[in-house]
This record gives sequence, C-alpha cells and structure tokens, in this order.
Amino acid sequence: MDETALERYFDDSIANDSGFSLGEGWMMRFLKARGGAKAGGGGGPGSELPPGRDWPRPRPRPSSTDHDDLTRALPVATEAEEESQGAESNTSFCPMTPMTPMTPMTPVTERSGITPQLQNIVSTVNLGCPLDLKFIALQARNAEYNPKRFAAVIMRIREPRTTALIFSSGKMVCTGAKSEEQSRLAARKYARVVQKLGFSARFMDFKIQNMVASCDVCFPIRLEGLVLTHQQFCSYEPELFPGLIYRMVKPRIVLLIFVSGKVVLTGAKERAEIYEAFENIYPILRGFRKH
Amino acid sequence: MASTSRGEGLSLPRVTCPNHPEACLVEDYRAGDMICPECGLVVGDRVIDVGSEWRTFSNEKALKDPSRVGDAQNPLLNGGDLTTMISKGTGAASFDEFGNSKYQNRRTMSSSDRAMLNAFKEISTMADRINLPRNIVDRTNNLFKQVYEQKSLKGRANDAIASACLYIACRQEGVPRTFKEICAVSRISKKEIGRCFKLILKALETSVDLITTGDFMSRFCSNLGLPKQVQMAATYIARKAVEMDLVPGRSPISVAAAAIYMASQASAEKKTQKEIGDIAGVADVTIRQSYRLIYPRAAELFPPDFKFDTPVEKLPQL
Repeated sequence: MDETALERYFDDSIANDSGFSLGEGWMMRFLKARGGAKAGGGGGPGSELPPGRDWPRPRPRPSSTDHDDLTRALPVATEAEEESQGAESNTSFCPMTPMTPMTPMTPVTERSGITPQLQNIVSTVNLGCPLDLKFIALQARNAEYNPKRFAAVIMRIREPRTTALIFSSGKMVCTGAKSEEQSRLAARKYARVVQKLGFSARFMDFKIQNMVASCDVCFPIRLEGLVLTHQQFCSYEPELFPGLIYRMVKPRIVLLIFVSGKVVLTGAKERAEIYEAFENIYPILRGFRKH
Repeated sequence: MASTSRGEGLSLPRVTCPNHPEACLVEDYRAGDMICPECGLVVGDRVIDVGSEWRTFSNEKALKDPSRVGDAQNPLLNGGDLTTMISKGTGAASFDEFGNSKYQNRRTMSSSDRAMLNAFKEISTMADRINLPRNIVDRTNNLFKQVYEQKSLKGRANDAIASACLYIACRQEGVPRTFKEICAVSRISKKEIGRCFKLILKALETSVDLITTGDFMSRFCSNLGLPKQVQMAATYIARKAVEMDLVPGRSPISVAAAAIYMASQASAEKKTQKEIGDIAGVADVTIRQSYRLIYPRAAELFPPDFKFDTPVEKLPQL
C-alpha cells in the first residue's frame, strides 16, 4: 500500500468525526440484504448516525473481509428510507442457520429488536520487519517496556482508545477498539508510529482475531432451567462463575448469560457471527424468562 | 461336614453333573470337592481352597505377618498386573559389610501405571482427610482411570485431575462438596481444580446436577453443632428463599450460609457470621449480603412449626 494513499486515509478518518464507525447502520443493511424485516427500535440504544453519510470509496485493500464485500455490494441506504419502513413482517425471513442437531432449535419468530454492541476487538498485524523494542520504548510516547515481565512494548493511543503489544519480530496485537474500522485505523496508526521511528514498517495480514459484544435482553433469566435443557452446550457453576457459559456450535461463539438478562458474546471473527448467535439465543432465553 | 454353596445366580462353572446338568454343584471346601446335590456324585475334585492358610488374630503382637498372600488386587483399575518383586531383606544376612542391603534394586513394577497408582494413593489420602466413604473413592478411581486412559488431559498435574475427579465423584453420588472443601485437602488451587473439572466433564462427556442449598445443610449444621430443629429450619428457609427468588444470582452456598445464620439467630444456639463463614468457606460480608436480601421476608421463610427463641422482629438487622 503506497504512502500517499496511507496519508490520505489518515487525513480522511482523523479529520472527520470521531464517532466514525462501520457500526450502527450495519444491522439494518445486513437485514435488508437477507430480505428480512426492519429491526424494531432502531439500530440499538444511543446510535447517532450522521445523516446521509456517504460510504468512503472502496480502497484497494490487501485483505478483503466478508463485510467489506457486502458493503460494496449493497446500495448505501439512507436513514430516511429505513425509518419509513412499516411494521415488521416475517414472511420473507429465512432462518439463517441450517437445522442440524447441533444447532439450538429456534422457532421462526419475529426478530429480537436488540442489537449487541461491540465492546472490544482484538486484531493482529504483521509489520514485516524486526524491531528494536528498546529503541521504540525510549523514543515513542506512551510506550512501556519491561522485558523481565513481558517481551513486548505496550503502546497506547488516545484516538481510537486502544492498546497495542508490539513484538520484536514485527508482529503486533491491537486491542480495545470498539469497531472493525477503528481497530484497523488504530493498527495503522501504530504502524505509522513505528514507521516514523525509522523502521521500514509495512501493514501486512491485518486480521481480526476476536470480537466481544454485549447486550441486554431486559428480562431476568432462569439459568437453572436453561442448563437442564441445553446440557451439552451449557456450563453453569455458581461456585466458579455467576454466569452461565453457553458454547454455541453453529456460529462458534461463547455466550455468558447472567441472571439479570445481560449477555456477553465473544469468540467471533465477524460481526455477522455475533448477530447470528444472538438471534439464535434470544428465543431460547425468552423461553426461560422469569415471571 | 460343613458345606457351602456358591454361585446360584451366576453362570455355572464348566463342570456339571453328567446326570443332572441343571443342578447347582455344591462345593465342599474341606475336602476340595464339588458335589451334585441330586445324586451325590463328586464332579470336580482337588478344588483349591482360597481361604487363608492359618488363623491370625488381630491382638497378637505378630512381628511378621504369616500370611503369604499379598493384598487383594484391584484388577479393574490396575489392568491385571501380575509382576512380583523381591522385598527388602529382614535378617542379618541380607546386608553386606557396609550396611547396604544386598538386593537393592527394586525394579519398577509397572512404569506406565506408576502415575496412576500414585494418583490412587493421593485420592485415598484426600478422601480420608474428609472421611469420604469407600463408594466415593471407588468412583473417583474409576473416573481418574477413564481420564488417564483418554490422555486428553495429559499435560495437567495428576493431583489436579485427581482433585477434580474427587469433586465430580462427590457430586455424582449426590453428596456434593464445595470446591473450597476439596481445596482444603488438596494442594491444588481452586482455579486449577475448576479448570480441570470443566475439562474432565467435556472429556468424559458427562454432566453433573446443579448444586442446591439443601445438599450442604446437614454438613454445615453438624459442624457448627446446631440441633436438628435449627438445621431443618435453615433448610426450609433456604429452599423458600430460592423458590421466592429473593436471592437471584447468589451462589447456593452463600444462600445456605445466610439461611443457617437466620435460623441460628432465631433459636437458642446463636452463631456469628464469622463462625458460619469459616465452616462454609464463605466470607462474612457475603453472608451479610445474602442475609440482607432474605431479611425483609423473614417471617414467611420460617417453617410454620418453628419454636422461636428470638422472635422474627428481634432478628439482627445488618
């Protein structure tokens, strides 16, 4: 990826609003593509999408991920168009998961209307050249390096509030971002910092390794009932952890389900997996609602 | 001439009486014969007597055990090992001039199962510390054997796997022990036992029942020296509290401890939170938290026939 494009990308994203993310309008477009109904209640609490925001031109990215292809394929829907859609209809909804014995059986009902919010994205990238960690730690701002404790430089930036672990082999782990784009942006910023220090850093094999999301189903849940019926997926040990650990097989996601109704989903490589997992678990949780 | 009959319901030995094939043969152990009860024909003879060679009495100060038979083997667990070894000498002739024993090298009997035997010994020691009955120890040994043979948890410390197997066995037998109780008799941390526990359940593809408050009542109450009435009251309180969903998300141990506290405070035998916390392995602030949740509905939680030493209004409010 050439220098000028990199610079342009930084200027574009940094100069514009800090709330820039792939996030909030995504769910609607995703559901539209599936031919489903509009998710009730909007795209989740607290979403303030800038009106009529144009999607940036597709960049020649070295690695293209699934959701990139999807956004390029879809027309950019404006807010107004989505809001104008009427009541939910489930006639055109096709269940997303094949009915294998390993999938929890989900009755085809209306959508949950709740969107899990991404809380953390962990990604890795290869800068492609060996690094002198001592030099980086001394020169860079906001870097800590304690070789006796851990063999990597821990660097933090404020803009997408993230932390990076930079190893001497040139590989880097970036954590703490709230969306895929922010993670990529932050990783690029770290790469930039390293580059400015004089190393010939490149940006190779950026890959999102883990995504964590959380949401609230807004009703208390009977965990004992859930563990009785879904024994092969659930692990509930109040002595060890107060939440129930549900290991879903079809999108391979681990969900932590709490009595209060809060759900944490983790282990996803794609945003779609999180949404699919939540749509799978929601009817099950509804069945175990406390009255 | 005493005779015993054996094996009525089991499959018959290969020999049968030629005239009465269905007849159960009667064994005369004194003479070493197997006799048909119908016609008196001696069918098998020279049957080896498996009784002991001579009588030994427990109060005799016998320096050497005259029995020439070893321990009862447990073929299910040890894989039917039949090797023997030469033991250390006892007389003066077995030592050479420097005082070292002449036959030194005790070759390892079964190196592959050595770890398993060690683990069984460890399990037995742990179980003995908390006075677990033989059936739990046997179940633990079986679980350990299954896990060991599967080799899926090979990297984990054997002691950790043994502790986790002990925990699972207690659960499976319907008398669960808390993780903290198992920690108290094991050198492994609760975290590691918890990890091994989950791994073993996955490896053996079994599951265990959820713990309830009633599982621990009898043990905690008797350790505290509370009378039966208080124990029954505490059991009732804890069950009602969970049914009425006064303590959502609380560990059953904490709820049980709070129920014991409430019941003991209402009776003549009052126990402090600290004492209950020590026995149950729960912090006293935890008991306080759970107690605060059940206190408002205290009057409904007590069993109807409970004799109050301290009325419900005078219960301590924390």
